[in-house]
Amino acid sequence: MSDEILSFDNLTVQFGGVRACDAIDGHVKRGSLFALIGPNGAGKTTLVNAISGVYKPLPGAQVQFHPAGRPTEDLLSYRPFQIARLGVARTFQNLGLFMGENVLTNLLLGRYIHEHTRLIEGGLFTRRAVKRELAARQAIERVVDLLDLGSFKREPVGDLPYGVQKRVEFGRVLAMEPELLMLDEPMAGMSVDEKQDMIRYIYAAQDELDMTVFLIEHDMSVVMSIADHVMVLDFGQKIAEGTPAEMQQDERVIAAYLGTEMAEN
Amino acid sequence: MTAVENPAPQQDSTTYRPSPVQRLLPFAIAAVVPFILGATTENVNFWWKALITVVVLAVVARMAWVWTPRGELTHREDMRLWRTPSDRSWAAVTVFGLLVLPFILASDFTPPMDFPWATWFAVVNLVLIFAMGAAAFNLLVGYSGQISLAHVAFLALGSIVGGIVGVQWSGGNMWVALPAAALAGAVVGAISGLPALRLKHLYLLLATFGFHFVMMLVWREYLQEYFGFVGIRFKGENSPRIASWLHWLPGIDPDDNGEFIITGQFRWYWVLMPITVLSILFMVNVVRTREGRAFAAVRDRDVSASLLGINVARSKLLAFALSSAVVSMSGVLASFYIGSRGEDSFNVQTVLNYAIIIVVGGFSSIQGAIFGSAFFWFLPEWFKWAREELWIVRDIDFLSDYPSEIDLAIKGFLVVIILMFKPDGLAGLWKDVKGWIGRSLARRGP
Repeated sequence: MSDEILSFDNLTVQFGGVRACDAIDGHVKRGSLFALIGPNGAGKTTLVNAISGVYKPLPGAQVQFHPAGRPTEDLLSYRPFQIARLGVARTFQNLGLFMGENVLTNLLLGRYIHEHTRLIEGGLFTRRAVKRELAARQAIERVVDLLDLGSFKREPVGDLPYGVQKRVEFGRVLAMEPELLMLDEPMAGMSVDEKQDMIRYIYAAQDELDMTVFLIEHDMSVVMSIADHVMVLDFGQKIAEGTPAEMQQDERVIAAYLGTEMAEN
Repeated sequence: MTAVENPAPQQDSTTYRPSPVQRLLPFAIAAVVPFILGATTENVNFWWKALITVVVLAVVARMAWVWTPRGELTHREDMRLWRTPSDRSWAAVTVFGLLVLPFILASDFTPPMDFPWATWFAVVNLVLIFAMGAAAFNLLVGYSGQISLAHVAFLALGSIVGGIVGVQWSGGNMWVALPAAALAGAVVGAISGLPALRLKHLYLLLATFGFHFVMMLVWREYLQEYFGFVGIRFKGENSPRIASWLHWLPGIDPDDNGEFIITGQFRWYWVLMPITVLSILFMVNVVRTREGRAFAAVRDRDVSASLLGINVARSKLLAFALSSAVVSMSGVLASFYIGSRGEDSFNVQTVLNYAIIIVVGGFSSIQGAIFGSAFFWFLPEWFKWAREELWIVRDIDFLSDYPSEIDLAIKGFLVVIILMFKPDGLAGLWKDVKGWIGRSLARRGP
C-alpha cells in the first residue's frame, strides 16, 4: 500500500435529503494523475470538498492521507487549514483568489504554511522576518517563471483576464508545494491554447515538482490524453474506474456521461 | 548634422544602482536639517524660514528621486516600503516635513486675515492621536474586514489603564501605562473579537456595539468607584514627565519645581509624532508580511484562506488584538494629552466620528486614517475662521447664528461628495495626485 498517497472509503456526503456523494471509495497512487469525471451535479466538487475538509462526510467514512516518510493521517479528524498544512492543496472551480490583492500577494499567500513569521516579528520587520520574506519571494520566483506571470506581479488579480487568473490560482497551490494537488476544473472556460498551456503546467507539477495530481475535469479529450487513472461519478455514485482506455469502452460511462458524442466515434 | 542614431535609453530600462551613501543621504539631510534650522533660526523672519523649508524640501525630494534603484529590482529592493522614485521622494518630504513642522508651528507668526495659526499646533497634535487610533481601526474594519464598533470602547479601556497604571499606581507615568494599555487592549480585543468567529457583517457590528456599551458601563463604574463625579485628572500632579535619560537634550529644562513635565504643544508633538509614526509603520509592516496577508485573505474569502493553511479564527482574533492594542495606546495618549477624562468623554458620537474618519480617509488604506483625521480636525477650524474673517462670508449672519449646525451640515455634505466621487477616499485622491505629479515629472526626464 505504500505507493498510495490518498485512499478514501465509504465517503458519503448528504445535504438534506440529497446524497451528493454516496459511499464512494477510491485510491490515488503516488505520483500519478488521477482524474475524476462525471456530468454536472455528479458530486465531483463535493468529493473534493469532503477530502479537503470543507464538508463533513457522514460517519463511517474514511479518508486516509499517506505522506511520504511520515505516518498515515486520518484527514477526517482535521480542520481544513490543518489538512492544507499536511500537504493537501486544492484550487476552486470558480476561483478562490483574493481579487483586491495583487498577484504577488496572492502567490505569497501560498507560502503561508512554509513561512513562520509571527505578527510582532513582521510588524517590527526584524532581520529574521526579512530573511523569511526573501525566502518566500525566492520560492515563488520559480512558480512565476514556470507560469509566465512575471509581467503581472503588481497587478490586482481582479483586473486580469480569466485565463491569467486561473494561472495565478494554480501558481498559488504550486507555491504551497503540496504532495497532493487537487485541481477543480482548472481548464473550465479556457481557450484551446490556454488549455494546452495548462496541461503543460500540470505535467510540470507532476514531473518536476513531484506532486500527485487529483484532477476534476469536464473536457473529455483532455482527461483521456493526460490521466493515468479515471474515476467516473454520476448522481453521487461511482459508476466506473480504470484507465482512460477502459473508460472509453465502458458502456455505463458512455451511457451516463460520454453519451452520443463518444458513441458515434 | 546626422540624425541621432542611438537615442538615450529609457530611464526604466537601464539598470542603475545608487551607492548606499546616495541611498541614505536625502533621508539623513531630511532628518538633520530641521534641527539645525530649529536651533539657528529662532529669531529669523517666518517667511525666510518658510522659504528655506521649501528649498530643502525640493532638494531632498529631488535627491531621493534621482538616487533610486532602477531597472530589474532584486527581491530585497522590491520589498522596500519605498520602491519607486516617487515613493522615495514623498518619503523624504514626509520625514523632513514631520521634523520641521513643530519648529514652524512654534514660530511667532501672524498670518494675513487672522488665519488661525495659534490653534494649528493643537490641531496637529490631535490629528496625530486620532490618526493612530483611526489607522488601527481601519486595519481591523477596512483591511481585515471585521466590522466593529467597539472602537471607542478601547479608547475608554486606554483611559482606564491610564487611570489605574498611569495615575493610581505611578502618579503620572505614561511610559508604563502605554505598554500596559497595549497588553490589556490585545487581551480584551481578542475577547471582543470572539463574536467574529460566528458572525459577519451587520450581525458582527451589532455584537461589537454591545461590547461598546459593556465597556461604557465598566468605565462609569470605575470612575465612580475611584474618582467620583469630576473624572480622572491626567494633568497637574499626574502630568507625564520626560524620561530622565532624555534630560540632556537641548531645549529640555526643568520648570520652577524642578520637574520635567511634558507640557505645551511643542513637547507633546515630540511625544505624539514618534509614537504615531512608529505604530503606523508597525501596522504597515504587518500588512506587508505573513500575518497581514492572511488578514486580507480572510477578508476576501475565508474558505479559500483556510485551504491555504490559514487558521481563520486565529487570524481574526489577531486582527482584533492588534487593532485594539494600538487603539488602547492612543486612548492613553489622548487621556494624558487632553488632561482629563470624565463620564461624557466617550459616547456614540465618538464612534461615528471615527467611522467618518476612516471612510473619508479611505476604507482599506491604513494611511488614509491620517488624511481622515486631518480632514476631521482642520475643517471646523477653517469653517470657524471663514465665518469670522473671510470676506463676504463673515457678513452672512445666518452662518454665525447657527455655527455648529452649519459645520455639521457642510461636513456631512463633503463626506457624501467624497464618497460619491472618490469611493476610496482622500487616500485614493492623494494617490491620484501623487501619480499625476510623478508622471509629469517623469515626462520631463531625469
